[in-house]
Amino acid sequence: MIPPTEERVQQHIVAGQRYPDETIAILPPLRSEATAEKIAINAVMAGAPAAAMPLIYAAIEAMADPDFDLAGLNATTGSVVPAVIVNGPIRHRLGIPYGAGLFGGVEGSAPGIGRAIRLAMRNIAGQHVGTTSKSVYGNPGRIAGIVIGEWEERSPWAPLAERRGVPGDAVTIYGAMGTANICDVVADSGIGLLEMIGKSLAYPGANGFLPSTAYSETLVVINPVWADLIAREFPKIESVQEVLWDKAALPIDWFRPEYRKPIDALGRIRADGRVHLVPEPKDVLVLVAGGEGGLHAHMVHSWGACLTVTRPIAA
Amino acid sequence: MSKGIVLDPTSSFSHDIVSSGPDVGDLAGRKIGFRIDMLWRSWDWVSEIWAEMLRADGAEVSFWRSMGRTAEEGVRMNAEMNAFFDGVDTAIVGLANCGSCTSWTIHDALAAAGRDIPTVAIATAHFEGLAHALAKRGGRSGLRLQILPYPLDILQKEQVHAIAREQYRSLLRTLGVRDRLAQQSAA
Repeated sequence: MIPPTEERVQQHIVAGQRYPDETIAILPPLRSEATAEKIAINAVMAGAPAAAMPLIYAAIEAMADPDFDLAGLNATTGSVVPAVIVNGPIRHRLGIPYGAGLFGGVEGSAPGIGRAIRLAMRNIAGQHVGTTSKSVYGNPGRIAGIVIGEWEERSPWAPLAERRGVPGDAVTIYGAMGTANICDVVADSGIGLLEMIGKSLAYPGANGFLPSTAYSETLVVINPVWADLIAREFPKIESVQEVLWDKAALPIDWFRPEYRKPIDALGRIRADGRVHLVPEPKDVLVLVAGGEGGLHAHMVHSWGACLTVTRPIAA
Repeated sequence: MSKGIVLDPTSSFSHDIVSSGPDVGDLAGRKIGFRIDMLWRSWDWVSEIWAEMLRADGAEVSFWRSMGRTAEEGVRMNAEMNAFFDGVDTAIVGLANCGSCTSWTIHDALAAAGRDIPTVAIATAHFEGLAHALAKRGGRSGLRLQILPYPLDILQKEQVHAIAREQYRSLLRTLGVRDRLAQQSAA
């Protein structure tokens, strides 16, 4: 932890190009005013580079968007942490990982940036486990965050943020209920990989199948080797999402009767008797990132009805 | 050894209403609104018993169910909630029985209390501390809370109904209802 002296904090505020008393967001659970200065103090303590301040401010602004339901997310019993996904040239300037080991263990500034945001959640938003956070298990990402980039240069599709309407430097905030691996050493086709990934997404206790969740999203991270193979058969990302959505479904009779009733009440049972993990193909978010060793994809299930938010990062 | 000054990373908050707000007084003719949710069947069971007992005591009772709180549905829910609270003169808001639903229960209870109508938020015991903390940081530490036992949602319907009946008079005291039985015994 680096002591937040006035001089260090000043450097971070200047780099962030915001006035010290400017309110970046009101942060729940304690509805606190997150000023540029308070966020900068936490960023200094965390060891985040001053050049990352525009990204940190944009990420915190995005988290405070009502669609993200930070009030619920910060207080929940669930094991969720806001993941920070970075697009644009800023990935290179800040050294945000998008290749091998991007979710943890690779050198770079990501842990410092993630830690800055986590400290802001604790010190400013007031998220304390046991009192204002009722998370039953917590999440390893609640220590140094999850800060990753997309390997845009190796992706056969447009960058995630651009597909969401924000080209260039952008941050996308996603409510991540942990990460899980999908391994395949057999598939030799795009459809084979997508079927394996899609079916792996659909387990009965996943957030998207909760009888109290009318809608949700899911995130799939595909390594560049698999992305190339998939893109040969599915050059459009919408087709990839369509297949994943279709395969990520369970027959309603897999669920006990007491589950079927509330799921049915939400209108989620399709004519073919299946329930899809997420309502529509667009709700399957796809990101290309990871090492060139291939063999694995990552699935990141969402939390509640929290919706992903994308914001530009100020130049 | 040299000394240095470091800046405070935390945020402070001073605004607070410690009053619990107006009392209900008499139940007869009161328009009491229950805010229920899409999560907790136990809260449906508690509220249906309390509604029955409140009607027997002369109150009019209505319900509003909170659903998803994000995107277009979230905007619609806020509008529905405001219209609902505008149409009642007492609010019973629940159920704070998980982290996020405590957050939204208190959010909605504060919206009702802000109308200066008698308001009580219903929480289970495990979430009482969170409910208090959120009410305080929402600027109303005096918000009335009625605490139900925890865990509640794993109980059978008959057990939950029994808890609701046992807690009814306590609920009335929390809401500041004139207790006829107490008045009669004093007389």
